[in-house]
Amino acid sequence: MRKRKFKQKLFIGVCGLSAVITASLLIFILGFIFMRAIPSLSWDYILTAEVDAGGFNEGIANAIVGTIILATTSVVVATPLALAVAVYMTEYSKENWFTKTLRFMIDLLAGMPSIVLGVIGFVLLVISLKYITGGFSLIAGAIALAILVLPTIERAAEESLKTVPRELKEGSMALGSTKWQCIQKIVVPYSLSGIITGVVLGIGRAAEESAVVVLTAGYTQFMPRLGLFPKEGVFMNTKLAPLQEGIASLPIAVYHSFEFSHMVPIENGFATATVLIAVVMMINLTAKTIAWKYRIG
Amino acid sequence: MMKLDKFTKDKPYLFFLTSAIFLTLMISVLVGTVFWMAYPTVSKTGIIEFIFGTEWGKEGGSYGIWIFIVGTFYMTAVTMCMAVPLGLFTAIYLSEFAHSKVRSIMKSSIELLVGIPSVVYGIFGLFILKDYLRDYVNPLISNTLGSFIPLFHDSGGSGTGVFLASVILTIMVIPTIISIAENAMRSVSQEYREGSIALGTTKWETIQKIVIPTALPGIVAGITLGMTRAVGETMAIVMLLGNTYKIPTSIFDTGYAMTSKILNDITYHFANPEVCSALFGIAAVLFIIEAIFIGIIRIISSMCSSGGGRNA
Repeated sequence: MRKRKFKQKLFIGVCGLSAVITASLLIFILGFIFMRAIPSLSWDYILTAEVDAGGFNEGIANAIVGTIILATTSVVVATPLALAVAVYMTEYSKENWFTKTLRFMIDLLAGMPSIVLGVIGFVLLVISLKYITGGFSLIAGAIALAILVLPTIERAAEESLKTVPRELKEGSMALGSTKWQCIQKIVVPYSLSGIITGVVLGIGRAAEESAVVVLTAGYTQFMPRLGLFPKEGVFMNTKLAPLQEGIASLPIAVYHSFEFSHMVPIENGFATATVLIAVVMMINLTAKTIAWKYRIG
Repeated sequence: MMKLDKFTKDKPYLFFLTSAIFLTLMISVLVGTVFWMAYPTVSKTGIIEFIFGTEWGKEGGSYGIWIFIVGTFYMTAVTMCMAVPLGLFTAIYLSEFAHSKVRSIMKSSIELLVGIPSVVYGIFGLFILKDYLRDYVNPLISNTLGSFIPLFHDSGGSGTGVFLASVILTIMVIPTIISIAENAMRSVSQEYREGSIALGTTKWETIQKIVIPTALPGIVAGITLGMTRAVGETMAIVMLLGNTYKIPTSIFDTGYAMTSKILNDITYHFANPEVCSALFGIAAVLFIIEAIFIGIIRIISSMCSSGGGRNA
């Protein structure tokens, strides 16, 4: 019995130790990154575009704006399709071979390594469709990222649509509504908070992605601009900025501190990383708050 | 009559069906592109030679990716050796011992770990962790275990290599393992535990003999999902594994992963159809590996739902 008690104590100790290690990881990592970032972190650094700052990674305003545009555009592209598929899966279809195949394919897409999605996007959108997308561009990046976040949004929406009580739907049908009216007036509004949570999580996922972005959206030191500019080799020899122009993003700015490590002071790399972490965590917290505030049932 | 109603009165049905079909086609096109692009070089090299060959770009256009496959799996194996014990013990602590308040704080801090982008993990590993490991941890392991097992021998180097990459990957995959394993353990019925305790077992014996076996499918699913992440990770690995063209001989040695090879070469060689196709060959192999993992997870989860293992 004593041996058994000892074993018990030993394993509780091991479990506790593991938990302490895991819990301290976050503080440890964030602390180190932040400490290294302090020398470079200033409002000036955050609010100046790289091109105006006069040096590689001396300003990141272009990357911050770029990340926000890129992430929201991709989610705007992905959400209608994701939502439509989720509605189809929960409201219209029965379990059959088609839904099973589709579900497996969505799982495959969710598990697809981002680099694989990146090279597909690179070859299809940047090289083959250069005439339309303009090569490395916001539009290529947004489409590739939309494919990346689609499973996230679809799953969240599907989970949320499933929580709508049967009685509500039946009540609506009993009042003579068509299926479409029921979906429009009952099902979607009821599960809206879950859907929005999924959308916000999708924005977060798109904002932190780098492998897909580096191969599709490219990078630029300039702030995104709006307007028509002449460009050879694109549809009508004109490009529509910012859609058909390369766009900067924070993950790529961080990556530059590795790729061009002799040119970028590492403190700047950590400062960019701190800003990126702050942006992504703010987005994720928003999602959590929405999910928690409007929790149903 | 009802069936007809469904189609005539409810035109939106067609819209939703079209969306679903469109998504199916789109995913098929994406997957098809990978294999279609990969075909020329892979068929020219021969599929066996492509996978087991160790020479990239032999004369005559033959490409072998064995070094990258070994690099990826070596790194993933070392990662799992650290992540599985750490993740499981933490999950056991959270599900069986922790107070609800401690649990909710810990769970949110683990969830925040997921919010750190992989490129940030990369520079954290390269510019901070690398020096600590090289100066303190590597010599410690190398001088103790490494003195009689060559696998743990550190022959000196900059600090990048399998071990550094695996430590970072461990941090990246434990949140996945913990959250799925903990859910699985918590869904084990309370009566099972009480029954076991009533028979005079200690709490640990109950966990070992009742909770873990019952939650095993969920735990395996969590580990597989973690492996999926480790195999597919790109940005951190390209910075940490060293990118040297050889098979690592010890856990402190450098190597080259499949994902890194694609990222490093694609933008320079896209104009050379032969190399481009070989890189898509790597992408195809990666995709097949992930598909197998996802297949395993699906089989496990379908076993769970039909087996009725969880009634909590």
